[in-house]
Amino acid sequence: MGHHVSGPDRPSAARLPRRLLPYRVTRWIAASLLHGWVLFAYVLLLAPLIVLAGASFDGAENYAFVNFPPENPTFEWYFEIPRRYYESIGVSIALAGTTAVLSVVFGVPAAFGLVRAVLPGRPLLSAIFRSPLQIPSVVIGISFLHLYYAMGIAMGVNPAGSFAGLAIGHFFHSMPYVTGTTVAVLQRFNTALEEAAISLGASRWRTLRRITLPVIMPGVYTGALYSFMVSFGDIPISIFLTTPQFTTFPVEIFLDMDQGLEPPMLAASTLVIVFSLGVMLLVQKVVGLEQILRSAGARK
Amino acid sequence: MSHLQTKTLRTFAAAALIAIVIPPAAAGELDGQTLRVGTWGGSWQGIQRKRIATKLEAMGAKVEFVKGNPSANLAKLIAARGGQAPFDVFEIIDATLPSVLKGNFLRPLDLSLIPNSKYINKDRVREKVIATWNTQEGICYLPGKFKELGIAAPKTYADLANPKLEGRVMIPDYVSGGGLAMLSGFALSQGGRLDNIKPGLNLVKRIKGVQFWKKGAQALTGMKSGDIYASVIHGGWCVRAAKAGLNVATRYARIDNNTVGVVKQGWIGIVKGTKVAKAANIWINNFISTDFQVAFAKAKGAMPENREAAPQLTDDALLNRLMILDPDKMDRMLRVDFSKVDTSAWREQWNRAVAK
Repeated sequence: MGHHVSGPDRPSAARLPRRLLPYRVTRWIAASLLHGWVLFAYVLLLAPLIVLAGASFDGAENYAFVNFPPENPTFEWYFEIPRRYYESIGVSIALAGTTAVLSVVFGVPAAFGLVRAVLPGRPLLSAIFRSPLQIPSVVIGISFLHLYYAMGIAMGVNPAGSFAGLAIGHFFHSMPYVTGTTVAVLQRFNTALEEAAISLGASRWRTLRRITLPVIMPGVYTGALYSFMVSFGDIPISIFLTTPQFTTFPVEIFLDMDQGLEPPMLAASTLVIVFSLGVMLLVQKVVGLEQILRSAGARK
Repeated sequence: MSHLQTKTLRTFAAAALIAIVIPPAAAGELDGQTLRVGTWGGSWQGIQRKRIATKLEAMGAKVEFVKGNPSANLAKLIAARGGQAPFDVFEIIDATLPSVLKGNFLRPLDLSLIPNSKYINKDRVREKVIATWNTQEGICYLPGKFKELGIAAPKTYADLANPKLEGRVMIPDYVSGGGLAMLSGFALSQGGRLDNIKPGLNLVKRIKGVQFWKKGAQALTGMKSGDIYASVIHGGWCVRAAKAGLNVATRYARIDNNTVGVVKQGWIGIVKGTKVAKAANIWINNFISTDFQVAFAKAKGAMPENREAAPQLTDDALLNRLMILDPDKMDRMLRVDFSKVDTSAWREQWNRAVAK
């Protein structure tokens, strides 16, 4: 005779609600809804890029607006991309790279100071380091322009219109990203690891190099990546600090847009999108993004 | 003497003869000078590069373009005060002109180097600036859609408040290139004044579901997609839409009994302290030359200030259909004297009214 276990924790079979549909079906419906929702989100995010890329193949003779889907598709506009667009893409990449490096070089030590140093008024200092994020970018741009001209008058050195001048302006705006993410990982860092290394005879410098930095590297990489992206896409600061010799790609496109959305512009933008995707895929393939970003980033 | 030696001798003789007969290239009168021009980007700059910069480069100058709208360029000038300005000559629009003149940023023009100034109306040749072009701000609309709705073509801005056009009208945002001209036209056509734009703001609120454009291409894209049936925009954009195959028409709104349409005026001036004043004056002379003004008008829909140029546009069917080419009618369009306008107050009122 089998035992039938029933009690206060297990309702009897007679009181269980009847399923309208089999469990497998409801699970399939739930999964489909979730996948559909995710797909919708992807489409929403990617639709502008698809429209832009599609319009860059439009073969109209006269263009006055974005035409999607393209009529008489052609690659013609990719061969009509003006040289100044390529030059400005080069400037943007170099500038963003420089900004990311500067942000790391200054932002990481700043983060250490904010987390580890015994400083009076640390909350105020922390707020000061974060403040560039609160200042509208256009105000930063105008302020640096005024500063540079004042430097020109006072010291005879005017960085306005130079690569260095642009880089400093971008660095001011981007460094908080590196400081912020590095502070976050440093605050979670288990200092026992450093103590263990020191107690085993490692110098402070070796401990920093072989223990601390590898562990906090995900935060540093993340901050550097944000810094790069913010710098690459910046317009409000660059628009005041660029010159014919150094113009960034977003500023070129933004100022040309006043006269209409011409297909070579769309073609150049599509190339930038493809290039960015390509770089991300390459990093994924060669290094592995998860490898960089996961918390066990310590060197093996 | 061998055949080769003879041939060589002849070649050298010919070269020597050419060197003697044809004098060495005369040193250009603008040799070593770099002229920096502050103007918009894209095709606006492109046509200047193609048609004016090449001429100055043939004279030995180098031309660089400092891209930016007049407001951004004015900000750069203000920042540079006391130091070297970022450009030598720059384009200004009517709304920015009072600030530029008040700031004393410009040097007097040398009209002896600008002989084409005789073709410009005397009231638009001033000590430090000269009028270069104007855009005709009107209503670009889809006649097919208006016919479907059973409504007549718009004659005034108030016609855009027709309930049948709900959600189908686009007007310039205040901060866009056409914003101030639009607000002037709206206000004055509704009985307001330059110091009382409330009637114009009320009209904006009456246009149900009105959308705003910041770039002209936005308005055209909306019309192309069929979302927008009428857009307050300058006629040049409408010409571009027509060239791209859109069935459009323009109307220039009646402001009062004597005034139809609104004009946005472009000017040009030379920055004080420039080291290339001669090149700058020559640039301006080329800008207002008949040839350039005709080409510019056909390419950009920016109407010429050169009186010789306007009659040459009548052979262009699209310009004829969509723009006002009659000089008398052009003179009767509204031109706002922005020295009498408090644009900050306008902006504040706009933000309050439109944000509601």
